[in-house]
Amino acid sequence: MSDAPIPETTPETPSGPFVYDYTTAPNRQVVLPKTVPLPGYRTYVAEQKALVEAEEAKWQKQLADFDTAKAKAEAEGKDAPKAPVKAVAKKNDTDMVFPAPTEAKDPTLLHLVNGLGDKVEEAFEQAGELTCQVAKEHILEALRLCREDAQLKFEMLADETATHYPAAQGFAFSVVYHLTSIARKKRLRLRILVPEGFEPESATQVYPSANWMEREIWDMLGIRFANHPNMIRILCPEDWEGHALRKEYPVVGWGQRDIDFREDRGGMLNRIAMEKAGQLGINLKRPKAE
Amino acid sequence: MFKNEEMEVNLGPQHPSTHGVLRVKLRLDGETIKHCTPVIGYLHRGVEKICENKTFFQGQVWTDRMDYCSAVANNLGWAEANEKLFGITVPRRAQYIRTMLNEFNRLASHLIWLATHALDIGAMTVFLYTFREREDILDINEAFCGSRLTTTALRIGGLREDLPPGFAKLVNKFLAKFPACLEEYENLLSENRIWKKRTVGVAKLNAEDAIALGVTGPVLRAAGVPYDIRKAFPYAAYAEMDFEVPTRTEADTYARYLVRLAEMRQSTRIIQQCMDGLPEGPVMAKIPKILRAEVNEVYHATEAPKGEIGYYLVGEKGSTNPYRFHVRAPGFINLQSLPKMVEGSLLADIVAAIGTLDIVLGEIDR
Repeated sequence: MSDAPIPETTPETPSGPFVYDYTTAPNRQVVLPKTVPLPGYRTYVAEQKALVEAEEAKWQKQLADFDTAKAKAEAEGKDAPKAPVKAVAKKNDTDMVFPAPTEAKDPTLLHLVNGLGDKVEEAFEQAGELTCQVAKEHILEALRLCREDAQLKFEMLADETATHYPAAQGFAFSVVYHLTSIARKKRLRLRILVPEGFEPESATQVYPSANWMEREIWDMLGIRFANHPNMIRILCPEDWEGHALRKEYPVVGWGQRDIDFREDRGGMLNRIAMEKAGQLGINLKRPKAE
Repeated sequence: MFKNEEMEVNLGPQHPSTHGVLRVKLRLDGETIKHCTPVIGYLHRGVEKICENKTFFQGQVWTDRMDYCSAVANNLGWAEANEKLFGITVPRRAQYIRTMLNEFNRLASHLIWLATHALDIGAMTVFLYTFREREDILDINEAFCGSRLTTTALRIGGLREDLPPGFAKLVNKFLAKFPACLEEYENLLSENRIWKKRTVGVAKLNAEDAIALGVTGPVLRAAGVPYDIRKAFPYAAYAEMDFEVPTRTEADTYARYLVRLAEMRQSTRIIQQCMDGLPEGPVMAKIPKILRAEVNEVYHATEAPKGEIGYYLVGEKGSTNPYRFHVRAPGFINLQSLPKMVEGSLLADIVAAIGTLDIVLGEIDR
């Protein structure tokens, strides 16, 4: 037992093609998303309305410009300028039609919305899928209703996952629950929006299958669930730093041995070319500046 | 030696019966399993993260490498999820060919399962027989897309190419031969006393527990629940196919063996129908060279040989990459039920239980 201070270790900078520090490595910079692609009927309608209004304003401005130009030309006795033509939307000649979100019409979804009352934040349909966004504090109630209501009867939690929205205001993640009703052949998506640090109630209390899914969410995105029986990492080791599926996490992780293949390949080709040229007695080396 | 003490045993991660790198922590009382904890993650490659940083088209090669025994099934789920995200209509001929390839894939996957499962339990011969037929299926894969295992056979919007000349001959040759081969396996195993001793009543999982634990695929159907996504939520050309969903009620390893064998019979029926009713027309939808997403999210589930494989995609407006790419791997969810199956049974039964779940660690760890 000596009182000598523990010597501070300084990490040595490794030489060679290996990059140990992702922050300084080329092509390792993280570009955070600027938008919040959270699907929803209300936002879609608002966006479409804004688009139409912008288009209309542009057209009105074109008309006004034309009027002033015409008056000016008449006053100066010149030829009248060309009348503006309203832009026609480009015809869709592909087999692709974007499935726009629509209002909730499905009886199952409406029944759920009625059952939950003001706990529902949004309910809509898109691409044939039913989505119901509920308040984050009431997710357990919603799951219980889905499982136990005779008209809903979603027996199975098929999947639970989350998405990171770093650009969002007021929340950081959306957690989605994909429920399946085997008897009624229906699928439903429940969604909650949770801020950083919020611990939603664990779905294992209603659906035991959520156990590993929620451990995966904790491991990959760093959302902890309250009242989960075993809230530990599942895919990464327990001492792993960070959560890989967050948007600020680099694609090449911490301490990853990584070769910049482009540079290395270039060097290799160069060396081979030099060797070959040397065998043939050709001097490819650039003459040194004197 | 005769102390009445519980013992901890590690099965895996380098044990041949764990089908890869699965580690199972076991607490034993003599030979009885008291507690079982599967430990996974040894093959984690971050497929979801990688696919979020690739374009929509580039994700396909990673889906091949998740469950490498059923690459076409993974491709199909991925392609259809993307088509749902963009609202692409796929030509009917492409749907038929996809369905056929998917069923071939199911056969190949089930054949591997039968081979390795029997090998684990101690029946060596079946392995040689099933790999003989699997080779024919891989040849068919090769004839269609040039590769045998990681096929990358499909494209978003359809197929890269139409069937090659002489493909029908290959398929017909296989279909003529395969039913007799299935009988061969049954002769080897179904009434085999050792096989039955190792499987009947082993690793039971009743319907209630299976649904609560999210188990899908043959394991659920062997518990008497006729849940098959091909019937419940038809995709590709399955709505036009005439086939049955085999179920058993015993919910044990032997029942799962029978269900999978019956499924192979149904798969040959579907392949035959696809070949007979193959419509004419293009195999690729008209889509732009670069796909740019709108704000949308989809969860698309298909019936892979191992169970429900689901893809959850989120699109960002104007982006060529998926904002979120998540895979609901059937093996990942099915493996959760392992403790329920084996706790209280003998140590040797865990080998049968892992085999009957038909897991591939490549998709569990992703």
